[in-house]
Amino acid sequence: IYLVAESKSAEPWPENATLYQQLKGEQILLSDNAASLAVQAFLQMCNLPIKVVCRANAEYMSPSGKVPFIHVGNQVISELGPIVQFVKAKGHSLSDGLGEVQKAEMKAYMELVNNMLLTAELYLQWCDEATVGEITHARYGSPYPWPLNHILAYQKQWEVKRKMKAIGWGKKTLDQLNATYVTPVSTFRPTELDALVFGHLYTILTTQLTNDELSEKVKNYSNLLAFCRRIEQHYFEDRGKGRLS
Amino acid sequence: MAAPLELSCWAGGWGLPSVHSESLVVMAYAKFCGAPLKVNVIDNTWRGSRGDVPILTTEDNMVSQPAKILNFLRKQKYNADYELSAKQGADTLAYIALLEEKLLPAVLHTFWVESDNYFTVTKPWFASQIPFPLSLILPGRMSKGALNRILLTRGQPPLYHLREVEAQIYRDAKECLNLLSNRLGTSQFFFGDTPSTLDAYVFGFLAPLYKVRFPKVQLQEHLKQLSNLCRFCDDILSSYFRLSLGDG
Repeated sequence: IYLVAESKSAEPWPENATLYQQLKGEQILLSDNAASLAVQAFLQMCNLPIKVVCRANAEYMSPSGKVPFIHVGNQVISELGPIVQFVKAKGHSLSDGLGEVQKAEMKAYMELVNNMLLTAELYLQWCDEATVGEITHARYGSPYPWPLNHILAYQKQWEVKRKMKAIGWGKKTLDQLNATYVTPVSTFRPTELDALVFGHLYTILTTQLTNDELSEKVKNYSNLLAFCRRIEQHYFEDRGKGRLS
Repeated sequence: MAAPLELSCWAGGWGLPSVHSESLVVMAYAKFCGAPLKVNVIDNTWRGSRGDVPILTTEDNMVSQPAKILNFLRKQKYNADYELSAKQGADTLAYIALLEEKLLPAVLHTFWVESDNYFTVTKPWFASQIPFPLSLILPGRMSKGALNRILLTRGQPPLYHLREVEAQIYRDAKECLNLLSNRLGTSQFFFGDTPSTLDAYVFGFLAPLYKVRFPKVQLQEHLKQLSNLCRFCDDILSSYFRLSLGDG
């Protein structure tokens, strides 16, 4: 979803482009962190500078209610999909060189990542009682005074549970997570798929949760670990941005 | 191999062995890998009320949901993906995810939410297959379930209203159909000359959309322009489901 002004593609990428997400230390949750990291990785891969700003109400500032969102010139765009399209309209694309079939595969794999990884993260965060009690609830409500902190957290949990039920994730399906997908796209240049996968995997590997099932599963795949390390080194360290915390 | 495998599913019509996508996926998969399925279509004597169809029953097991049923069949050595490489297996998962995210909402909408279609075609058909008074309840429940699924997975602020979601889901579905058509190209099946799980899924989702006669047909019209996808469905129907003999 994005609000578009009339002259959208004319202006070049401004120096003060900003990305908004929730507070890093105390508030942001696994799934939102992954989404934010994916967008950051994507923009790094396109060589477009972006400043990360943390706001407690980032979720409510976003036009679609999802984080992260970017503020570029006078436009606000949220979520990786629309951001990729917006960046493309400005003349930067990572996947232009792909053939039709490869583009189809890339889109399919992005859906798969969303389907499996994002859903597993959401399930872990909001439907695993131990995680909810010890981590999610407290983090989600942290910027707000009592009783708003509890109300908002319960409301969000109810929303996520409804969604899980609608798509059939009611019972624990983490075992079905099949992490043997191979990144099929061109090895010459990374694409938005790589950004998405990196965002999720890196976050899963580096976030401390009560339930380690997800990160243990990912750790079993050395090719995925190597992939994360490669992207981190190439796009986040080399640019003098310092390590991702 | 000894125990008979029975599949309960929705009946066919309009030239299809079943008009229900999920039932069709299982039936196609079974045909592809030669699993001997005894098909029991739901009719006026059906006593189950859960709407969980398709359901596979063996002597001591009851399995529902296409993914689980296919898994079960594979464990019984009915494996249509035997020849696929690891990458093709991963591709299968990816394309199935694409189908469920991008195509399914619009298919659900075409069948269950679009009022002209639902009231003139879908509801009467399903109601005619089940005994009274279930016929009064189940179609409505299935319709609400479909709407729910669409709104919960796609309707987010500011797209709370169905009309805006509709435009988006049909756009996504058309794009998905284009992607599938590109991927299939001129091949007979998605991975070469023999059909696999992915072919079963694509067939299951596309065939009802292709064949059922609806008043509101925008997605159907789009599909009909993709001739290789139509050819794909027709080929499977004529090779694996010889309907003219009244085969289930």
